[in-house]
Amino acid sequence: MSYALQTLWHERQRYASGVLAVTFSAVLMALQCGLLLGLFKITSIPLDQTKAGHGDGVDIWVGSSGTQSVDLGKPIPESYLTRVAGRPGVHMPEFYIANFGNLTKPVGGTELCYLLGSRLDVDARGPAAVLTPELRHALTERGTVVVDESDVKRLGLDLTGKPKINGKEIRLVGTVKGLRSLAAPWVFCSLDTARHLLGFMMPPEHVTYLIAECDSPERAQQVVGELRADYGNDMSAYSTLEFSTESRIYWLLRTRAGIAIGYAALLGLLVGMVITAQTLYSATAASAKEFAILLALGIPRWRIMLMVLNQSFWIGIIGIGLAYPVCLGLRELARMGNVDVDLRIEIVGGTAIVTMVMALISGLFALRSVRKIEPMDLLR
Amino acid sequence: MPMTVVRSPALKGLGITKSYGDGERRRVALDNVSLELHSGKLALLMGPSGSGKSTLLAVASGLLEPTEGQVLAEDRGELRDVWAMTAKQREDFRLRTTGFVFQGYNLFPALTARQQLEIVLKWGGYAGTFAARRQADEMLERLGMSPNRHKKPAHLSGGEKQRVAIGRALVKNPSFMFADEPTSALDWENGQKVMELLRDAAHERGASILVVSHDHRLLPYVDVYYHLEDGHLEERPLGSVVSH
Repeated sequence: MSYALQTLWHERQRYASGVLAVTFSAVLMALQCGLLLGLFKITSIPLDQTKAGHGDGVDIWVGSSGTQSVDLGKPIPESYLTRVAGRPGVHMPEFYIANFGNLTKPVGGTELCYLLGSRLDVDARGPAAVLTPELRHALTERGTVVVDESDVKRLGLDLTGKPKINGKEIRLVGTVKGLRSLAAPWVFCSLDTARHLLGFMMPPEHVTYLIAECDSPERAQQVVGELRADYGNDMSAYSTLEFSTESRIYWLLRTRAGIAIGYAALLGLLVGMVITAQTLYSATAASAKEFAILLALGIPRWRIMLMVLNQSFWIGIIGIGLAYPVCLGLRELARMGNVDVDLRIEIVGGTAIVTMVMALISGLFALRSVRKIEPMDLLR
Repeated sequence: MPMTVVRSPALKGLGITKSYGDGERRRVALDNVSLELHSGKLALLMGPSGSGKSTLLAVASGLLEPTEGQVLAEDRGELRDVWAMTAKQREDFRLRTTGFVFQGYNLFPALTARQQLEIVLKWGGYAGTFAARRQADEMLERLGMSPNRHKKPAHLSGGEKQRVAIGRALVKNPSFMFADEPTSALDWENGQKVMELLRDAAHERGASILVVSHDHRLLPYVDVYYHLEDGHLEERPLGSVVSH
C-alpha cells in the first residue's frame, strides 16, 4: 500500500470530510446531468417510441426546413413524397401529422396538447410501439385518442362529459404508460383523426413529416445526406436517432436548463474543491514536523508534494467510488417517483473525470502548505 | 572502543556569527564561533538556555545560514563550504551526508517503524523497495527494534520511538549526525540507551556527531565537550567537567 493511501486510512477521520466533499460533488453533478437528460428525453418521445427509435434505426424523417425539434415541424406538401420515394434502398414513405391542439375539458378550462397522428397498421413506422393492436384498432374510429395514463387527470379525461380538441369532440379509448410529456401532453391518434381535429391548421394535402424506412441504418444516413444536398433549402431530413438527439439538444439549449444545471454543478464542484483542498491543507500542516525532518535529511521537497498529490488522487478515487452506489440508489428512488435519471456511461464517466480533476486541483492548492514547511521549524 | 587515530576535522566551523535584526534591535546569537567535528567522535554542545546551541547546530548542519563565517565539511574527499553551495547543492549534500535526531521524534503516525526508515531510503534515492526493506530491517535489528518493526508510533514507548528516529537518521549511513536534545523527553534509562547508540554510531561507523543538550549526565558518553555561553564557544576538557 502506498504511504499516501496508508496515511489516508490511518487518519480516515481527518480525511473523511475531503472524501465526502468529493462524493457530494460527484453525486450532485451526475444526478443533475442525469436528471436533465432524463427530463429532456421526453421531448423526443414521438421519435424514441417508434420501431426505429426502439432499436433498428433504419428510418428517416423529412420535415419542414429548419425543423430543430420534433414538436416544431410545420406543414409540408404531401408531394414531397416523390423526393424520397423511388430512391434505392428506401421503402415507400408514410405520412405523419404532428401539431399543437387546444383541448377543452368536459368541465371547462383548456389545456394545450400535442397531437400525433400516424398510420396504425402493424408495419407502420410512425406510431408508438407501445400502442397495442387493440388500441390501434380502436383508434381507427374518427375522434378517438389515446394518452399517457399520467395525463388523463390533467386533461380532465377521467370526468364524464365531452372533451374537445379545437372544438371537435374526442373520445379516450385507452391509455399507455411511459409516454408522459414535459409541457403539452402527447395525444396519439390516427392520421384521419389528426386531420379532422386540426382542420384548417393542417392545409389539404399537407402533412408534418414523411417517414421512410430504409434497408439499413447506413443507407438511412446516406439518404439523409442525399436529401440534404438535393433539397436542403426547403426541407429538413434526419435519421430517427439524429432527430431525437437534435430535439433534446434544442430544448436543452432553448430552455437554458443546461446552463442552470451547469451553474449548480459548478457550484457543487467548487464547494467540493474548497473542502477537499482545506482538508488536505490542514492534514499536511498537521504533519509539517514529520515532513520537515525529511527535508532536513535532504529528501527533495517534490517527493513530499507528490505524496500530497497522491493523497488527493486517492481521495478522488474513494470519493468517486462512494458516489457511484449513491447515484444508483438515488436513481432508484427517483424512479419510484416516476422520474427518469439517465445515468448513461458518458455521464458517469464524464462526472468521474471532472471530479478527479477537481480532487487533483485541490491537491495542487494544498501544496501551499508544503512550501511553508522548513526544517528550521524543528529547532524553534 | 573509542578510535585512537587522530584525523583531520571532518567539519570545521570558522568564525561563525549569527545575528538577528538590525541596528539597535540587533541580537547576536553566535559571535565569531569556531568548532571542529572529527570523524568517529561524539561531541557534546552544552550551555544555558538561549545561549545559541540550537542555532549553532542549525548553522553547522546546513539548515540556517550564518551572518558571517564558513562551515567547511568533508564531502567526497574534499572540504567544501556548505554555505557557498546553492540551495540545491546543499540539499544534495544533506541527503548524502547528514542525519538528524530531534527532541520530538517526528515519526509519521500512519507508518510502521520499518516504513519510517524505508521512506528515507526510497525517497532519498538510496534504494529500491526490496533493498530499502532489507536495510531498514538490518538497522532496526542493530537498534534492538526488530520485534517492533511492524508497530506504529502509537504502540511504541518514548525510548523506542527515539530509537526509530535514530535509525531513520542512521539508515543512510551519514558522515555527520546532529542531535538536538535527543534525551530530554526520555527517562534516564532510555536516555542512556540513546547515548550508547549515538556513541556506537560515532565509534563504529566513523560518523561525526554533534549532540546539543543541557544534561550533564551525558558527559561520560562523549569524546569532546563544547560549552556555549553568550554566543561564545569554548572547548573544555572532559575530566574537569565530569568532576564539576
